[in-house]
Amino acid sequence: MSQRDAFLSRISGALGRDRPPQLPPSAPPYSVGPPDEIAERAALVTDMMKRNADNLFATLAHVAESAGWNVARVPDPRAAGKRILEIAKDLEARLGVFSPHPIVRAALRADPFAGSGIELLPVALGLDESESPQRGRERLRAAMAVADLGITGVDYAIAETGTCVIIPKAGVSRLVSLLPPVHVALVERGQTLPSLDELFTLRRNDFMQGETRSYMNLITGPSRTADIEYTIVTGVHGPGEVHMILVG
Amino acid sequence: MQPRTTQFRQNSASALADERIQRNLAGLYSGFHSARIDASSATADWESLRARGHEIKSHVIENLDYYLNTLADSVERAGGHVFFAKDAEDASSYVVEVASKRGIDLVIKSKSMLSEEMGLNERLEAEGMEPVETDLGEYIIQLAGDTPFHIIAPAIHKSREEVSDLFTERLGAPRYEDIEDLTKEARRQLRQKFLAAGMGISGANFLVAETGTVALVTNEGNGRMVTSMPKVHIAIAGMEKVVPSIEDLAMFLRLLIRSATGQMLSSYVTAVTGPRLHDEEDGPEEFHLVIVDNGRSRILADEHLRESLLCLRCGACMNACPVYRKVGGHAYGWVYPGPIGAIVSPMLTGLSDGKDLPYASTLCGACKEACPVKIDMPRMLLYLRKELTQGDSYPEHRSADAAERLAVKGWRASASSDAAMRATNLAARLGQALLSRGGEISKMPGPLSGWTDHREFPRAQKPFRSRWPLGDDAARRPRDER
Ligand code: SF4
Repeated sequence: MSQRDAFLSRISGALGRDRPPQLPPSAPPYSVGPPDEIAERAALVTDMMKRNADNLFATLAHVAESAGWNVARVPDPRAAGKRILEIAKDLEARLGVFSPHPIVRAALRADPFAGSGIELLPVALGLDESESPQRGRERLRAAMAVADLGITGVDYAIAETGTCVIIPKAGVSRLVSLLPPVHVALVERGQTLPSLDELFTLRRNDFMQGETRSYMNLITGPSRTADIEYTIVTGVHGPGEVHMILVG
Repeated sequence: MQPRTTQFRQNSASALADERIQRNLAGLYSGFHSARIDASSATADWESLRARGHEIKSHVIENLDYYLNTLADSVERAGGHVFFAKDAEDASSYVVEVASKRGIDLVIKSKSMLSEEMGLNERLEAEGMEPVETDLGEYIIQLAGDTPFHIIAPAIHKSREEVSDLFTERLGAPRYEDIEDLTKEARRQLRQKFLAAGMGISGANFLVAETGTVALVTNEGNGRMVTSMPKVHIAIAGMEKVVPSIEDLAMFLRLLIRSATGQMLSSYVTAVTGPRLHDEEDGPEEFHLVIVDNGRSRILADEHLRESLLCLRCGACMNACPVYRKVGGHAYGWVYPGPIGAIVSPMLTGLSDGKDLPYASTLCGACKEACPVKIDMPRMLLYLRKELTQGDSYPEHRSADAAERLAVKGWRASASSDAAMRATNLAARLGQALLSRGGEISKMPGPLSGWTDHREFPRAQKPFRSRWPLGDDAARRPRDER
């Protein structure tokens, strides 16, 4: 008997049966709804996200502030680029790293950092074809470890909790929003979901469609701890200062 | 971690006499407890969320064999390895085997109470490896060679001065007065470890059966480091952590986080599904999930105690418990303190070892009230007391319990007749008058002394049951308001 079977048969025994049931237990009380309606529900969410974009954006700005983000609202990507430069100058930054999300590339297109003396480095493998992925990872990690700020886009934002959701993929590192002491997140109009429920509905739909990813981060304000005498300190292992720039 | 659950009485007496511990415990109530109440009242439909949470977790526990089977398939589909561990020894050996096969000696860890339960650090050290705790509280505990005081805030019993001494002594750091400087020092020290470690070990707050996802709730960012930086990530999880679908996470994250720290969401929630995919920028090459029984199937097999497996490990019952708030986490002598610890510790470490723990409660119901998944802890504590008093399997304790058992029996016999019960109550009140000074009973004789040695027992003015026919509301109101 395999180690897995032995384990499961002990569980079955504790529950008073011989082996695990082969079919799903009757009517699982899913908190939101059964899997066969998932595509429809996901479509409703996407639609609502677009229709209520303005309201959701306004709520997000408000809630994110109380969750510890520094929130700024700008009309377009170009203005976002200028805002990023201001943040970097305030920090007296020397090196910034960024994930080449489309919105970040748009914000940096007009080259706002030209002549500022601040270096900006894209974190993505394969930009230099002569470099092996292994070497590329090492080089980028070393850069991120000394960078003064990390700039990213987001996949979604959540109005209920003031959260940015980042799903790492090609061109989106797990570490740009983690290793540098300051994180700047650009959120576009139309990316805000009302609550956690809608996020997980969309993720479940992605999963059902076979679009899986190994990782997802929900980021709500700065890294913090209250482990010594309940005193809140930010910037323990992740960024102690976080900026959310709402674009559009 | 070696259980010291037999020593509840001694442990709690010394905690009660320790001013520093008493001061730090007071902070729990004003901090976490009130934050939880604020966060839950700010959540729409909190009560129906709790009911729903209870329902879904119960469903999973009743079908745990099915859901674990599904979960294992899903993790493997995502490219991860699954190991089912019968006990702590099994689980630790698996971790050691993975590490030694790859020649890894530096292991970074994010907070996991299961790892404490397994004694994983001791085991890794015995194999010549270096395990490093990276949650600030756990890091302090590890440097001090101490054990966690609270499942959410493990080092909350230590003052800044003690942490400062510890950092000077163990790390050669300068003496810092400031908590912020102490935190920065830990950041510097641990950054080096994050960059160099070959393996990251995390716990798991939830395991999603449908997708094979491990969900982690953290605030410091160490959970993200542990799951992103090293080449190998191992998540260790108690077998009860399963939820059916990723859609259930929304509700369970609200219930857990708002009950634990009172935040609307923790700084980070991380969802890990297998190792990094080939086109992803970074992340571990290997992912392992170790699912651990270690006595849990014993709890599962007991229908009266099965409900304790619903626990989300939020800590709310501890913060709410009048006993925990006086004696603190170390008194319970094992990884899980407070009301839920008083139930699961005796079951996981062996009932006779934890025989004092089910008595470490006033049965006031504050734990059940606070619990985000409505676990009926008072019911289970009573059940365990009954098992301990009536059980024949713990002969070494029988003589001590005989008097108490007789007393309960006597009460049962007399309660069956109204007149007899009135007579007994009268006798009891007369008996009390002899012992008490100024309305408080300071000592009970003989085997009942355990009930009064550490607290004043208010003298019954009127027998409890005689208040009901009179419609005396005072009996129904919580003590504070009387
Ligand atoms: S028993 Fe309930 S309140 Fe206590 S830690 Fe578990 S989930 Fe939280």
